[in-house]
Amino acid sequence: MAKTLTIPYIIKIQKRLYYSRRLSILTTFSAVIIAFGVAGLFFTIIGLNPLEVYSHIGGVFASPTLLLESFKRAIPIGLAALGLSIAFRMNFWNIGAEGQMYMGMLASTGIVLLHVYYGLIPDYFVLLLMLLAAFFTGGLWCSLPAFLKAKMKVNEILTTLMMNYIAMYLTDFLIYGPWRDPRGYGFPLSVPFPEYSKLTIIFGEFAYGGLLLLCLTAVLVFTILRYTKLGFELKIVGESIETARYAGINLSKVVTVGGFIAGGIAGVGGLTIVSGIIGRLRPRASPGYGYTAIIVVLLSALNPWLIIPVSIFFGGLFVAGDILQATLRIPGSAVEMYQALIFLFIVIGEFMKRYKVTITRRVFG
Amino acid sequence: MDELVSLRGIVKHFPGVLANDNVDFTLRRGEIHALLGENGAGKTTLMNILYGLYRPDSGEIYIEGRRVEISSPKDAIKLGVGMVHQNFKLIPSHTILENIILGLKEVGFIINYKKISEEVKKLAESYGWRINPNAYVWQLTAGEKQQVELLKLLYRDARILILDEPTSVLTPQECRILFQALRRMAREGKGIIFITHKLDEVFAISDRVTVMRKGKVVVTKETIKTDMPELAQYMVGRPILFTIEKKEPKPSGEAIIIKNLKAFNDKGVLALKGVDLVVMKNEIVGVIGVTGNGQQELVEVIAGLRKAAEGSILIDGINIVNSSPDRIIKLGVAYIPPEPLRYSIAPNLTIVDNLFIKAYRYKPYSNGILINWKKVYKKADELVKNFQIISPSLSTKAKSLSGGNLQRLILARELSGLIGDRIPRLIVAAYPTKGLDIGATEFVHKTLIEYSRKGSGILFISEDIEEALMISDRVAVMHDGRIVSIFKPGEVDIEKIGLMMAGVQVASTI
Amino acid sequence: MSIQWIEQVLQLTVQMGTVYLLASLGEIYAERSGVLNLGLEGMMIMGAAISFIFSIAYGHLSAIFIAAMLGALMGFILSILAVDMRLNQVVVGLALTLLGIGLSGFFTFPEIRKNILLKLNPSLPAEMLLTQQAEKLPETPIPLFSDIPILGKMFFSHNVLVYFSLILSIVMWFILFKTRIGLTIRSVGENPSMADSLGVNVYMVRRATTIISGAFASLAGAYFFIGFHPFWREGVTAGRGFIALALVILATWSPLRAIVGAYLFGGVETFQYRLQLFGLGAQSPYFLAMLPYIMTIVTLIIISTENIKKKIGAPASLGIPYSREE
Repeated sequence: MAKTLTIPYIIKIQKRLYYSRRLSILTTFSAVIIAFGVAGLFFTIIGLNPLEVYSHIGGVFASPTLLLESFKRAIPIGLAALGLSIAFRMNFWNIGAEGQMYMGMLASTGIVLLHVYYGLIPDYFVLLLMLLAAFFTGGLWCSLPAFLKAKMKVNEILTTLMMNYIAMYLTDFLIYGPWRDPRGYGFPLSVPFPEYSKLTIIFGEFAYGGLLLLCLTAVLVFTILRYTKLGFELKIVGESIETARYAGINLSKVVTVGGFIAGGIAGVGGLTIVSGIIGRLRPRASPGYGYTAIIVVLLSALNPWLIIPVSIFFGGLFVAGDILQATLRIPGSAVEMYQALIFLFIVIGEFMKRYKVTITRRVFG
Repeated sequence: MDELVSLRGIVKHFPGVLANDNVDFTLRRGEIHALLGENGAGKTTLMNILYGLYRPDSGEIYIEGRRVEISSPKDAIKLGVGMVHQNFKLIPSHTILENIILGLKEVGFIINYKKISEEVKKLAESYGWRINPNAYVWQLTAGEKQQVELLKLLYRDARILILDEPTSVLTPQECRILFQALRRMAREGKGIIFITHKLDEVFAISDRVTVMRKGKVVVTKETIKTDMPELAQYMVGRPILFTIEKKEPKPSGEAIIIKNLKAFNDKGVLALKGVDLVVMKNEIVGVIGVTGNGQQELVEVIAGLRKAAEGSILIDGINIVNSSPDRIIKLGVAYIPPEPLRYSIAPNLTIVDNLFIKAYRYKPYSNGILINWKKVYKKADELVKNFQIISPSLSTKAKSLSGGNLQRLILARELSGLIGDRIPRLIVAAYPTKGLDIGATEFVHKTLIEYSRKGSGILFISEDIEEALMISDRVAVMHDGRIVSIFKPGEVDIEKIGLMMAGVQVASTI
Repeated sequence: MSIQWIEQVLQLTVQMGTVYLLASLGEIYAERSGVLNLGLEGMMIMGAAISFIFSIAYGHLSAIFIAAMLGALMGFILSILAVDMRLNQVVVGLALTLLGIGLSGFFTFPEIRKNILLKLNPSLPAEMLLTQQAEKLPETPIPLFSDIPILGKMFFSHNVLVYFSLILSIVMWFILFKTRIGLTIRSVGENPSMADSLGVNVYMVRRATTIISGAFASLAGAYFFIGFHPFWREGVTAGRGFIALALVILATWSPLRAIVGAYLFGGVETFQYRLQLFGLGAQSPYFLAMLPYIMTIVTLIIISTENIKKKIGAPASLGIPYSREE
């Protein structure tokens, strides 16, 4: 297929017959480097020294305390991404991980409030119940758009995106209203979560407890995808709906259940935010982890094991963002810029892998 | 210039097949020229070349005496060539008028709906069509949609019109209206190429007819100077009959009883108009007929992938019409769909995945929630050996397999009793040897015969009369949504078969 | 609830709604041609940021112009990624949004702003270099008309961009449904292969509409800042780009219905703040805020039902890259 522009060059785009593994790794690598290069250019334009910026970012991964902080951020990102790996596997474009996390946050907070205000739940049960509630509400939040897609072919990108905002405003509603801590001096915060509800089972530190949870979830997701009937069915549905129907698969059931699990895991991710990172509920508790998770899962090619290191990398970027804000006076949103650039160039790299672009001088016309 | 179109020495290869073998074809001004042949004869390919969808490997195209290169439909339309395909390219949510004037620069910046509406209406009336240009396309019947497709071309002053099997979606009345319109177009001096496989149509409408077979032009004649038996013979040719060692089957009960089956196709037209057919166990019934006469819909209804409008299908006393595919699979029906890569194979999944695409949920391969991959791989190994599937490993993706190996995979999956560990009660195979080389074809034939001896009933759709006569115990001819005749191979001669396939009533011995 | 109160509310509704209206108009054209621009939010916030800087450096006119140009550039980039390279539109759209949000965050920092402002216009006085707020576009009420009770305040007492947006909606509606260009755009979104075979340059059409959606999104951001709320904050547009996406669906891809939808959303937003004054509690605005999204989901469900799908629905090839197979 040739496409011509009205310039004196002809740009031809042809599909490559095959590409070697080396080319694959090379393009991914160069994508990351180009991303940093472009960002560096931008910094120079606005008057910052890129080398300073990068030394700070590198510093995050070199310092043990900051690395720990990166782990902490990686946990909700990774959990959401693991949920997404199930959704994307069946070609369900779940943009709603953010909202599902918020629902998980709400559910967990609800359980804590029940416990603190009404004493309905014994201490040792609280965390377990929070987990179940978060999983359940997150799952429900995703299975509705999934069901709509399976039954009526409603575009899931738009529905899940809308559900994000509904969840966020629901959170705002609750936290500015009935769930506001009466002893919080009027700030929109919930009561602080009691210690035993904070995933501090291992070494008394959330990061370790959370990492354990993340690894266990990765094992769970891997098992589901590789060893269960559902995992197999998800794979086929993701390949082609026609084929799935031919194979006798009940589309509505598979897609809805798959969506439920995906949303549930994201919901647990929300739990780790309020319970682990912040220690209470507040508005905008997630700085976009649900969207970062989309980038993470795509960069990890839906592989649960790759998701963990990639999440840590992005967690580190968030921490770096905070540091840059405090020291170099660069806004935290630089992180988003990085994520976007890396993502963009890797996606472009994917394209370069599959297609060969040749530019030749136009001979006539 | 009396010759509107002249195609000289057209050659076109596709992987594995020579679709057009040095084809010469001419179209005169004011003539309706029928292009007749079975599927795979090369007629649609030839016309796609004229319309710019394909480029010939060699050969020349002359339009009104001038040598031209047609590299896309855009070029074709500029040269006055227009084609109406079987699948309409229309926008349902737009009006007729909007579909017709799309892309025309002459329309001007602001669309003068009133004026163009008048023009379109008048144009349509000049061909005997009554339309409301402001109606939406989704509201139209198939016949009306076809009129819109034709109007699209006529509005652009197309002088050469190609129609690909136009009557396949029309009712008899709509056919009449179409033919009237075509005659008027011919009188205006336009040239019309009419692709068909129906002999009666050739005689109803054409001035000349060209018969194609296996990529070559067999003959071009004036329609008045020939008759149906002669054309049927040209279409079907004189076959070389291979015979295969076949014992007389000992029927032992019915595998499937189909009564008065009616069903619609995807375009909403009645494709099955009352099919009656019985297939016994131990028996191979080959169904022949030109593609598009309901065969695809028949097998889909049996497999549970299409709903039936009327009628019944009994398997073991149970009416399976409109049951779920899963239920039908469980009852022991194996379905080998045509075109493996379309949906019966998932190209990006591995051989093992594809082998178990239906069986994964049954014991012993799954215990309810988990899949026992060890057992699966073991059985897969076995199947690959038994069915001679050649590939680097079990984890190779299906898309890298050759056509023959893919078909073996499908046979292995469907026939080897993965589900319930028994041989299928009924095997439905649609064009299982299409595109395969001799070795693979032989393998398919041997396998089917083997299973029929083991007790399966086999319903087998073929485009190739020779093949059907060779391996079937009984042959059924399907035309226009019905089984028009059933006979044993050898009872009816080739000419009569050709006529039956083309829809002509023939007395036959059953 | 006096007449004045009603007038004020309506006026604010239109002013808030204009942000959504401008952004959605461009997006309607893009989606009608089959391209889903999820980068709206990023383009909008960049428009706000650029208009902030340029209105201080050179004034309102240049701010609007440069914002539109920047948006067009971002739209152009999207068109290369989505139309030419046929990358997944959701993915690149989100990436562009993140990029826009990230880039715009840099302008929150006074030193960075100072550097840029000085490079642009070295003669700026010191206090302008560090200001967090810009000069607001003046209101230009239309004489006579603006004195009509209620309607006068609602439609005729705004700044030029508001009038522009209304006129633009009507013009764009006319072009889309009554002209050959509009028919071409709509057909490309419904059946690009049919349009291609009839001689339409699908790539060019999609490129043009994507550039338009970028330019308008950015313009919407510029309006939001200098026309409505000229106080800079990080993430100042707060998801309004995504609301515009929802609006496009709610308006079922029609510029005229977009006016209604935009003012509906604007009205809901206005009420969010008024309700607080009624003492209904600090939380009630959020409840109201959920409404537009719920309505959008309901709309999505309705237009997916069989009957409706035929007549009014998403353009058939929305989000699907086009390539001509040989």
